[in-house]
Amino acid sequence: MSKSTKTILWVFFLIVALVQLFPLIWLVDFSFLSSTEFYSSSVLKWPSDPQWQNYINAWVDGKFLRYFINSAFVTTVTILLTVILSLTLGYAFTRMQWKLRSVFFTIILLGIMIPIHATLLPNFAIFKALGLTNSYLGLILPYTAVSVPLGTFILTGFMRSIPKAMEESAVVDGANIYRIVFQIIAPLTAPALVTVIVTTFLNCWNEFIMASTFLSKDSLKTLPFSVMNFAGQYSSDYGSQFAVMVLTSIPAIIIYAIFNEQITKGVTAGAVKG
Amino acid sequence: MQKVFNNKLAIFLFVFPGILLFALTFLVPIVLSGYYSFRDTLSPGTPSAFIGFANYTELLFHDSRFWLALRNAVLLGLGFILIQHPIAIFFAIMLDRLGGKAEKWFRTIFFIPCVISVVVISKMWLSLLDPTFGAFNKMLDSLGLGFLKHAWLGDSSTALVSMLFILIWAGFGWGLLFYYAGLKGIPDDMYEAASLDGASGFRLHWRITVPLLSPVITVQITLAMITALKQMETVFLTTNGGPGDSTQFLAVYLYNKAFSASQYGYANAISILFIVVCLLATYLSNKLTRSDATEF
Repeated sequence: MSKSTKTILWVFFLIVALVQLFPLIWLVDFSFLSSTEFYSSSVLKWPSDPQWQNYINAWVDGKFLRYFINSAFVTTVTILLTVILSLTLGYAFTRMQWKLRSVFFTIILLGIMIPIHATLLPNFAIFKALGLTNSYLGLILPYTAVSVPLGTFILTGFMRSIPKAMEESAVVDGANIYRIVFQIIAPLTAPALVTVIVTTFLNCWNEFIMASTFLSKDSLKTLPFSVMNFAGQYSSDYGSQFAVMVLTSIPAIIIYAIFNEQITKGVTAGAVKG
Repeated sequence: MQKVFNNKLAIFLFVFPGILLFALTFLVPIVLSGYYSFRDTLSPGTPSAFIGFANYTELLFHDSRFWLALRNAVLLGLGFILIQHPIAIFFAIMLDRLGGKAEKWFRTIFFIPCVISVVVISKMWLSLLDPTFGAFNKMLDSLGLGFLKHAWLGDSSTALVSMLFILIWAGFGWGLLFYYAGLKGIPDDMYEAASLDGASGFRLHWRITVPLLSPVITVQITLAMITALKQMETVFLTTNGGPGDSTQFLAVYLYNKAFSASQYGYANAISILFIVVCLLATYLSNKLTRSDATEF
């Protein structure tokens, strides 16, 4: 490609990136404004007097730290469970030999197609009867159940490409089935596992409908609630509302920035081999 | 080797927890949903009369909202397939040609909206499209297009289009990433062979890239239809199906029927039909796209 074509392409991408990120730039910009400045005619506005108070409101009244810890705990446990269950299920479906294999595989894959919202109503009734509403488990169980089908699907696709010779030599060396799965297969599926971990993270970290249906106790609420709680409390103070939205977005963006490379690798591995 | 793969205890330990969890949070609820869908009940556990298929006949033959919600999902799915995906494929190809550090940077940037919470996305777009202080109307003003100013989400004639726009913006990065990953799997010598035959530019991509991407496209089309059908959170948090049902979707409808209108039995009937529709859509789009893909 010639240098000039490359420059044109570069400029084109820069413009598109700005347009695509504009809503977020706008959000950050307006989070520093006082509400009176909102109604001026300019699209973006340099804050004459940056309102840091908006961020203090967001941190304190958005109960940011409390909700952040809840989100981190629920998401971590969900990811751990999802990885273990998807790995063992995936292995049983690709390598192990048993009669009902394809039946159970189909049942698990149904989970990708069945909308979770359709099970929301009965799950609410069941969880209420079991005393699982207003508990961490009330989120961890459905989050894991939703993540496992996709995780199993990604991992089975990946495992099929692993040569059986790997396990054969392990058996010769005297490894049992559990060591094979957790010490030999698990590291080999690392790129696919990263995809599973990241998609599970994004889904759980940002999930709102289940959380809002199953939780009413304030001390258990997750990060999206800091935005929701705020909308009513500060209904006309848009600056503070925008500040809480910016704060809520930062953790996910940081995690993404760290794992960005692995996400693409994982998706690439999945797209080529799955 | 056979002995290891036939280990019954290991199979049980590997499969049972996953299946149990799945049964408890998917299968049992669906059965329960089916039970309640035949009853005229206001909330779970309240005594109720068995009313047979009344909820279903009402839904299928007298409830225009149900069909409207389904139509909106189909329109959204078509929007994804006809607008979002071609753009994503185009950008994936351009990105692939860019190369170097810039390729990595832009790929990272384009994905950022995908990591933002749906609550933030919804509230942000509500503000951006706000008729008084929203940036969108201000932008039209500064471009001299003030006459186009609008309550974008508040007017039933523009609400669905605005919703489509928000969802395309939010999901664009995922589509781009999948197509980009697919492109990386196409060996370079395919392009070299084709350019020796005289193909270049647009023709080259139309003849080589698109056909070779077809397995990815197939999966993506199915996923787009499912995503459109399952759409809920963004709608729920912005318009809640309104104004006047113009952005109604099945999940939003059933949620409101159950928790706002207290028609629990009826909401469960919607749930069951919702599941049927999703399974049917997956089956159909698999069938339709598979037959296409075989020629490559």
